[in-house]
Amino acid sequence: MSDANLTAHPGRLRASNLLWTVAAVAVLLVVVAGLTLIFGRTGERIAVQMCVNVVAVVALAIYCGNTGIVSFGHGAFLALGAYLSGILTMPAGLQRSALPDLPTFLVGHETTIWVSLPVAALAGLGFAALTGSAIARLVGASATIATLGLLIIAHGVAIAAREITRGSQTFYGVPRVTDLALALGAAVVAILLARWYRESRWGLFARAARDDADAATSLGIYARRTRFLSWCASGALAAVAGALYGHMLGAFSPASFYLGLVFAQVVMMIVGGMASVGGAVVGVIAVTLLQDTVRQFEGGATVLGITLPEVFGLTTIVLGLAILLVIWARPQGIVGGFELGPGADANVFKRLTAGVTLASPPEPVAPATLKASDLSKSFAGVKAVQGVSFEAPTGRVTGLIGPNGAGKSTLVNLLTRAYQADSGSAEMGETDLTRVAHHKIPNHGVSRSFQNLRLFSGLTAYENVFVAALAAGHDRKTAAAITLRELDAFDLSDVAGFRADGLPYGARKRLEIARALAQDPKILLLDEPAAGMNPSETDDLADRLVEVSQTRGIGILLIDHDLRFVNRLSDWIVVMHQGAVIAQGTPEDVRSDPKVIEAYIGKGRTAQKAAISETNQTQPTEDLSS
Amino acid sequence: MIRNTLLLTSALATGFAGVAMADSYKIGVMSAQSGYLAPYDGPAYAGFQFCIDEMNANGGLNGTTPVELIVRDTRSDIAEGVKVVQEMIDDGAQFIVASADADPTIAAAQITAADSIPTMTFAGTAPVLTQVGDHVFGSYPADNQQATVLAGHAREQGFEKVWLVKSPDSAYTLGGPEYFGEAFTALGGSVVGESSYSLNQPDFSAIVTAIKNADTAPDVIVTWAWEPDFPAFIRALRGAGVDTQVMGGDVLDSPTVRGLGDVVAGVAHTSGGFPDEGSAYADFIARFSAATGTTPDNNYYVNGCDIAHMIEDAVAAAGTTDPAAVTAAMAGIENGEGIMSNFTFAGTDRMPLRDVVVARISAAGEKEFVLRTTADPAILPQP
Repeated sequence: MSDANLTAHPGRLRASNLLWTVAAVAVLLVVVAGLTLIFGRTGERIAVQMCVNVVAVVALAIYCGNTGIVSFGHGAFLALGAYLSGILTMPAGLQRSALPDLPTFLVGHETTIWVSLPVAALAGLGFAALTGSAIARLVGASATIATLGLLIIAHGVAIAAREITRGSQTFYGVPRVTDLALALGAAVVAILLARWYRESRWGLFARAARDDADAATSLGIYARRTRFLSWCASGALAAVAGALYGHMLGAFSPASFYLGLVFAQVVMMIVGGMASVGGAVVGVIAVTLLQDTVRQFEGGATVLGITLPEVFGLTTIVLGLAILLVIWARPQGIVGGFELGPGADANVFKRLTAGVTLASPPEPVAPATLKASDLSKSFAGVKAVQGVSFEAPTGRVTGLIGPNGAGKSTLVNLLTRAYQADSGSAEMGETDLTRVAHHKIPNHGVSRSFQNLRLFSGLTAYENVFVAALAAGHDRKTAAAITLRELDAFDLSDVAGFRADGLPYGARKRLEIARALAQDPKILLLDEPAAGMNPSETDDLADRLVEVSQTRGIGILLIDHDLRFVNRLSDWIVVMHQGAVIAQGTPEDVRSDPKVIEAYIGKGRTAQKAAISETNQTQPTEDLSS
Repeated sequence: MIRNTLLLTSALATGFAGVAMADSYKIGVMSAQSGYLAPYDGPAYAGFQFCIDEMNANGGLNGTTPVELIVRDTRSDIAEGVKVVQEMIDDGAQFIVASADADPTIAAAQITAADSIPTMTFAGTAPVLTQVGDHVFGSYPADNQQATVLAGHAREQGFEKVWLVKSPDSAYTLGGPEYFGEAFTALGGSVVGESSYSLNQPDFSAIVTAIKNADTAPDVIVTWAWEPDFPAFIRALRGAGVDTQVMGGDVLDSPTVRGLGDVVAGVAHTSGGFPDEGSAYADFIARFSAATGTTPDNNYYVNGCDIAHMIEDAVAAAGTTDPAAVTAAMAGIENGEGIMSNFTFAGTDRMPLRDVVVARISAAGEKEFVLRTTADPAILPQP
């Protein structure tokens, strides 16, 4: 693992990123070259269709891959691009006879495809913005169903707009100008754009929100906007793909862009691997090659002297079997959840060993105080938090303890606006956080970790932290430096190139804290950071937190069951029980408070008895006297 | 099994033909063997191939020009269709037989236009498809011809008020009733109402209610709906107690529609032909059944065979297999002899003028012959 120490050379990440792009383009180029050189004109035509499909499927994957939502609605964009570009480029004479009732603003342009393609892209963008404002509000299955609805509506509109589309009749006379050079060029550009978007600020935000919307929101990422932007980028490119498809066919009807085509493209995307651009490319290539190979044998052929009979439908059967095989053997697609090519931790990058200067530790933060006043929250009559008031200033570790169900996590959720408080306020300086939008909380200097690990599992450790630094408003260069600093501070440099879901538990816990710290918060809310750790890991974490607190001067609100851990770190402890604060003060004061002992151990027992005889049995990790 | 043996034999025969006869006439066939076109392309190709095989056994077209078929499956996919047409032209196809629908035929025709390679649809009936170029031909009586003959029959029966039930989802389901309305009006009838449905619409009760409560009750209802829409519609209509005469397009000429029972008794529909006893059509069915073990139960088989006859006539008239000459000769055919019916391209926009049959479904679920005639060009609605 030490070979993969990214702090030794962040260039490994850039090189890996570049290689992923090169790999996706190279695979396409090799297959296209092979097809055209070996099979001549037949191969060239297969290559053209394949390249057009690459543009369409890569466009689809910009939305689906980055948001995790499967879309069946992209047929609408394909149709929009095809009809619009067809009308714009159609010879005027033909247009007069085929489309006599065309609205005047569309009549007689006779442009080249170099004009119609950008127009199609803009139209796709506009249509995506219009539809995305609704669809981006949805996630999961409801979003998928909404996209299906969009396809059905668009199909109906295309049929009804007879003046423009010739209704359900064939729309013909579209110049057949999609040749190999154009299709291949478009496919390469589409791959570059999709790769760029995927690694861009907005692509990373979208993938973070895909993996965990709540965690992303707590970092200041507006999940809905990431879906909206992905939808818009995807729609614009899909419209271009539609235009290319239309110029490849020359004649089509609304049915050409309906379920048949859309399902085929979704299958290509899923077979290759939805989560990556390389997957989309490989999926298109695999399906195309399989289809066209088998197709040659359908009409009967002579193989090694044996004449095979006609078996029509063979292509469909073999394709179906192949899809089943892929789903069975590789549920994440041929390429899987990651891009095609070596990751930043690969041996190939070992030689890049030049060091890097980490970002200097941040200046100690300006004094501020997170002040909860009379916060209350009920769920269906259960008072989870009632009238809680306390302060967590910078430069102090404030422990928040209490038995299970005391309302600690609810309180954190109120402070970070994950829940809306019924009453009371949580002030940070002059701002009442209960009136701030959830995703804007980090702007006010408050970051958090979660009780249950909420990492972005599809992102690398590096990306998990990097996305937080970007979300805090830093440019990429600064964000990279901050990321490497935080990874180093939490001993995660060696695993920076690994996916978060592949890390050991302790590392994942530390990663979540590193991620929160990358936002340079004034107050850090840590919800059970040591839960599940062994004693040595807990001690190590405590050391790191002490150092962070001292060097940066930030305030930490520390929630944990491990009282030894809390006692060691905290300058001030707040004790909650049944939703209310029952005591607060220095650790010594709190330890001797009868109400605290009663809450933890039970009524009618003395503190000494309790400490000696029962603590270890009921709460093995708690040690009131330490 | 028999079919497979036949296919194997013909594949072998075609293979030998390719080697042995260098001057053979190459015909490219786009045939969707799966997808929505398969129910039409499948039978049409079977009939076409059967008659080409018969011709080849006798020396080829007109006994002199052997035919080599280049067959490609399009899976009803228009992009696949475009690709295979180009492949077939690369392989030397001098004539293209395209899938049984306007979309793939027009897409193919745009490609064949460059070399003016004659292109004929298996069974596309939308009159618009020949507008793409002078080299594009229909083979089946077009929707407007069928609608005109049916409208004439309706007027002869004394019907005056028609209600049209159409779907904008396809050129066929939309165009048929509209052509009927035009011809019916030209013959003195009137359209008293129209309803639209979506393909695969499960519930027709709203349309039935509209018809039932119309201010002016129709005396005939016309729809070009196919399955499963037609069965759903007719059941809803009869279920609501509306026993108005219903007429429809040639798509109703199917065993499953006839098998719907009482609700379809008396329904009249158009058809491309009728296998009268002793007719060439009946003979074709007997020969085809004997050779393949499959009994043709729709007109696409025999129309496929007629396409072979059309090509044979055009090549004979052209005296050459040059594509442009064959195109010109095809366009000039007058009263060519077919098995389903005779065909005339001269004077048309290359949708052949052919007899249209009107048939009626009997109470016993049998197809009854009503009349056979050619559409009157004077009232033929223009596409």
